[in-house]
Amino acid sequence: MMQLLFLSLFAFVPAFAGTSFLDAVERQSWDLGKEKLEVVWIEDDKFPKFTASFYFQDGALNDSVPGLTQFTFDQLTSGTGQETQRELAEFFDFYGANLRHTVTHEYSVFTVQALTKDIAPVMGKVCQLFKDAQYPQNELDSHTSRAKSHLKNLVTSHAALADRIFRKVSLSGTPYAEPVEGTLASYDKITRKLLRERLGALNRTKKVLYLAGPRDVKEMQKVLAAECEWNNEVKVNPPVLRKPEAQSTIYLVHVPQANQAQIRIGRYLIKDEFIGKYDQYQFMSTFLGGGFTSKLVQELRVKRGLTYSAGAYVSMQRDYGRAGILTFSKNETAADAVGIVRDVFADVASGKFLEKEFVHQKNHQIGAYAFGFEETGAFLGQLMLYDHQNRDLAELVRFPETIGRLTMPELARATMETFPWERQTIVIVGDQELQKSLSRIRPVRVVGYEDFL
Amino acid sequence: MKFLLPLLLTPFLLNGCASLKKEQNLADSIKLDVEELKLANGMTALIVNQPKLPIFSLYFFYKVGGKNETPGITGASHFLEHMMFKGAKKFGKNSIDFIIEGSGGSTNAYTTNDSTVYYENLPAKELGMILDIEADRMENLGLDPDDFNKERAVVLEERKMRYENSPRGQLYQLLMQNLFAGTPYGRPVIGEIPDLKSVTREQIHTYFKRFYAPNNVTLVVVGDVNSTAARKMIEEKFGRIPASPSVNEAHASLKDADFAVSSTVSKVVAQKGESPSPLFMMAYPTYKAGHPKGYALDILSSILGAGKSSTLLNEYILIPKPIATSMYAAHQQLEKAGFFFIGGELVRGVGLDGFRADVSRKLTAWCDSEVTPRNLQKIKNNYLVDLYGGLDTNAGLAQFLGDRQMLFGDWRHYKKELELYEKVTVKDVKDLCLETFAKNPTFVSVWNQHK
Repeated sequence: MMQLLFLSLFAFVPAFAGTSFLDAVERQSWDLGKEKLEVVWIEDDKFPKFTASFYFQDGALNDSVPGLTQFTFDQLTSGTGQETQRELAEFFDFYGANLRHTVTHEYSVFTVQALTKDIAPVMGKVCQLFKDAQYPQNELDSHTSRAKSHLKNLVTSHAALADRIFRKVSLSGTPYAEPVEGTLASYDKITRKLLRERLGALNRTKKVLYLAGPRDVKEMQKVLAAECEWNNEVKVNPPVLRKPEAQSTIYLVHVPQANQAQIRIGRYLIKDEFIGKYDQYQFMSTFLGGGFTSKLVQELRVKRGLTYSAGAYVSMQRDYGRAGILTFSKNETAADAVGIVRDVFADVASGKFLEKEFVHQKNHQIGAYAFGFEETGAFLGQLMLYDHQNRDLAELVRFPETIGRLTMPELARATMETFPWERQTIVIVGDQELQKSLSRIRPVRVVGYEDFL
Repeated sequence: MKFLLPLLLTPFLLNGCASLKKEQNLADSIKLDVEELKLANGMTALIVNQPKLPIFSLYFFYKVGGKNETPGITGASHFLEHMMFKGAKKFGKNSIDFIIEGSGGSTNAYTTNDSTVYYENLPAKELGMILDIEADRMENLGLDPDDFNKERAVVLEERKMRYENSPRGQLYQLLMQNLFAGTPYGRPVIGEIPDLKSVTREQIHTYFKRFYAPNNVTLVVVGDVNSTAARKMIEEKFGRIPASPSVNEAHASLKDADFAVSSTVSKVVAQKGESPSPLFMMAYPTYKAGHPKGYALDILSSILGAGKSSTLLNEYILIPKPIATSMYAAHQQLEKAGFFFIGGELVRGVGLDGFRADVSRKLTAWCDSEVTPRNLQKIKNNYLVDLYGGLDTNAGLAQFLGDRQMLFGDWRHYKKELELYEKVTVKDVKDLCLETFAKNPTFVSVWNQHK
């Protein structure tokens, strides 16, 4: 059986290689006057529509007030010198144009999707937003009020609450600890002046356009050159992190009337830990908690029925990363679930896993390789992340080969280095009655969720 | 069933937005090369060859869901969905996930009021393997007693996650229970706790034997598939499985009248839940999937609740002192009944009674002020973009075709839908708006201040 599995692994590699897709990625430099805009273009003529994702090499790390960059994008359409929020919304909705944005600590992305024939009006208006967003006080007040209300109601989603608190606790003492969305305390400090200044800085930061659409989408260059006033004068200096220290407590976040506990375990990674190991870490996280056949799902759900889902992740930006697991279990078995996660980490780190499990995961990841190219938007996102991490795209082509070469001791070592139990932060969101059972694992510190809003 | 709306809407081609010429047949603007196969045992298969990448998506639509359950076995369809991954005869205990993921694939499933849908995304060379698995579990599901009890615990955990610890989940359940009180749609698809704890392996097996048969399923495969080879494999693997003798009878026993909703009086239902801000949903009965009046109601829901320029957002959210932090509107059409609803999260301090009175009054007024030629045009433009987005992947197209085949018995039904959407006028939407909001609504809310 083992031989057969290996055969299938190697039989697959020549069947599909990403080279043909990467050959189709065209890198250009568009002269916009004050800025040479780097453009990464993929031809996609399936439908007459385009996706334009503008990468800004600047994110929430540069917020003078937590949440500032997020608010800057959230309120970009709240009014310009010429048009009100309602008029702008009417304009974009009429064209069926979809605007969205993502802010991370290290970078921000603003994405526009619309029909190709509407490039000129839609992109012209987008440039207008970046040039002339006024952040009217009445709209800012309204947005602030809604943001506060939304945050105060976060307890309606225990999973979202657990994610937020886990970030704050596990990254405590680093510049990455504050959530990009901001906090109740920070919202009132965000002013029109700060928003205008932040937008100005974003206009002057390095940008890259990731573009997908039919050939005529390149007409966008004329619009951007004529309408946008961008340059790339501002350089951003990354922070330097120290490795996380040992953790001695479990944070139990009490929420009322919970009969299930949300469990988050993990830590942050410093740059030196993951450079050159991206694919290895991805393999490790999938082996531990990616898919129904991963170790954690098998141990927690299939063998014991303790949870509905369990997942592991290693997410890496350019200068920092995070590794962890997410799961949940009823109050009666939450401590057992934490203990099983600890055992899985220990077993994999000490090489106690079967060769067939290892080969199975290799086949899983190599076989799944082609799916990363199916949806153009997702493929663009992958290219963007590679660029942000300063990775060579050749690594993407070599992914099946890299995974094929991984050894069992390498997986064990990666797990040992990433998930040593004493360095893991543990956050449980649930009823405070869990304190007793959780104290079998570590001393428990009970905190209220309101402290993290 | 997820909202049908975004899937139905369409390429018409409107003054400001469309590049197609007016005289062009709009349905023909979507080129779908679908091969249809009907087996003697009643099974339907649809095959679309899209060889851009060496991958495909396979969807299996079983026509069985929450509405087919009876009191005492609520949640059976969903429980069975979980058990389908636990193994059959040829593909034994817990092997299915390993085989699929071990070949680079992924799989999952979902259960709705009307259907249970299984899907897989796999490398092209695995079509034979997955058809083998699907045939084996359709014919010989294992239902191992040990797995059965472990999976019962998993389903109970899922229930806690989706409903018991989620005020939004509670809200949706509360709406369905009250709007469809006394009908099969009033029962929770996830199941009542006592039923989930007491349902036996034998009950699930009986349920399985009745509904899991070739004459109750639509298979859709989209991707890098050789259609001749695919047809042959489908015939080989499924052609010998006998039809269920009782499934047609089971479907026929569910009359439309059994799903009729009484709206002679308004219902207001408040439930205490752990939401510091009031969450609400307000629903009006409408028409089942496929009813000609449903298309105008879809458009109405988008005018009221889709996008930043929509009515509800500008009335309650994007104002100096917001009344709500989120608002939405949708028209949900199930196989036997439909309903129009709005919902949202109010800002703390806003009273539910006052809000309900205010929105009830305004809804009727909006039939006149908001249903305008420009808004109608805007929504149609948006649907065009959404439609393209929905058909971008193999899985998107497979779901698009399967939904229609299952609900209307013909994947080509989308052409009729396009035609109907194209014909919707401002007057149609206004008339339906007035008709709908003249009915008595069901208003439900979840809030930690409720008794």
